[in-house]
Amino acid sequence: MTLATKYLFFIFLLFSLIGCGAHSHYNWSNYDTKMYQHYKNPAERDEFVQALKDILDNAEPEGKVPPGIYAEYGFVMYEQGNNQQAVLYFQKEAEKWPESRAFMAKLIANVNNRARNQKANVQSPVGPDADAGKTVPKPSAEVSK
Amino acid sequence: MKRMPLLLILLSFLTLSGCVHRAEPSKQEKFLAASPRSILIVPVVNKSVDVTAADYMLSTLATPIAERGYYVFPTNTVKRVLEDEGLADSSLVYSAATSKLANLFGADVVLYVVVEQWDAQYAVLTTTTTVDLSYQIRDGKTDDVLWENRVKMVYQPNSGGNSGGGLGGLVAQLVVKAVVAAMQKAAPNYMPLVHQANAKAFLRYPGTGIPFGPYATAEELKKEKSINELRNRGLIPPDRD
Repeated sequence: MTLATKYLFFIFLLFSLIGCGAHSHYNWSNYDTKMYQHYKNPAERDEFVQALKDILDNAEPEGKVPPGIYAEYGFVMYEQGNNQQAVLYFQKEAEKWPESRAFMAKLIANVNNRARNQKANVQSPVGPDADAGKTVPKPSAEVSK
Repeated sequence: MKRMPLLLILLSFLTLSGCVHRAEPSKQEKFLAASPRSILIVPVVNKSVDVTAADYMLSTLATPIAERGYYVFPTNTVKRVLEDEGLADSSLVYSAATSKLANLFGADVVLYVVVEQWDAQYAVLTTTTTVDLSYQIRDGKTDDVLWENRVKMVYQPNSGGNSGGGLGGLVAQLVVKAVVAAMQKAAPNYMPLVHQANAKAFLRYPGTGIPFGPYATAEELKKEKSINELRNRGLIPPDRD
């Protein structure tokens, strides 16, 4: 085999390798389509929450949870007024992805702030989780601090 | 004279491949020097006539970037937080300093995407779907542009093969084509086209794409290295298309 054919063969091999290297790191379960549908039909909020839960359920056993998904789930929990679940999932994101820690710390501080305020003007003995949906608090802008 | 057709084909290939903007090598060096770990995806600016294009596009970006080996901030959460910060309008996000945005989330770099064109044009018996996108990554500390790319993709469904069958067959074919074109016009499916555009924008490295990030597998990095070596020895043209 001449040197030139050797090179040609090598290049050929390389190109064929490029073709088959398209396996995924993560299990996304159509995250993009689900998010787009959520923007198209914002009223169908529960479906987006369920879609995020599905991604986690599918990906967790394989250890293939994509970056950002724990936080996305935590945030919809926060929007629903579920402080406990929100903090839990923000913590999961921070644990798995060190790059997210600064942002997650802000979000957690935000939730804790709200929880304190809720406790301060508590009117009924019902916990924050039970009245989720009735009082959907607007996420405050304190993240910037 | 005998070589003319071949030359023509070659020439047309060259012109066709010229359509895509190429990242300047100096900027790729800047990207490598910055070696970001995390990429913040901010809401997309829409210059097209389709009001749904920005959200559509935004939802497709996390996957290719994360699969490239970077930490990607939660797209929807980031969008909501920016809205609460009074940055619901994506053009405001784009005019804000990158360093300010990056600091808000603790991000290394920020990815900005502009939809330049996004439409489905109906012409006799066929619908041509076009997406034209500009991508830019800026440094979260210095505000410098570290990488940019522009990709235009055009899709024209090729419906109804050559089934023959005389005039009746021809008419049937035309009807099928018209129906397919009308369906594509009524509800154009941009998702496959956008996936292709994103792949073209990000994955071609060395070349116009972005290098693998910190979460890339050893196997991927090895492959990237060997492609780089081949390129350095002049065995692969610097920018493959």
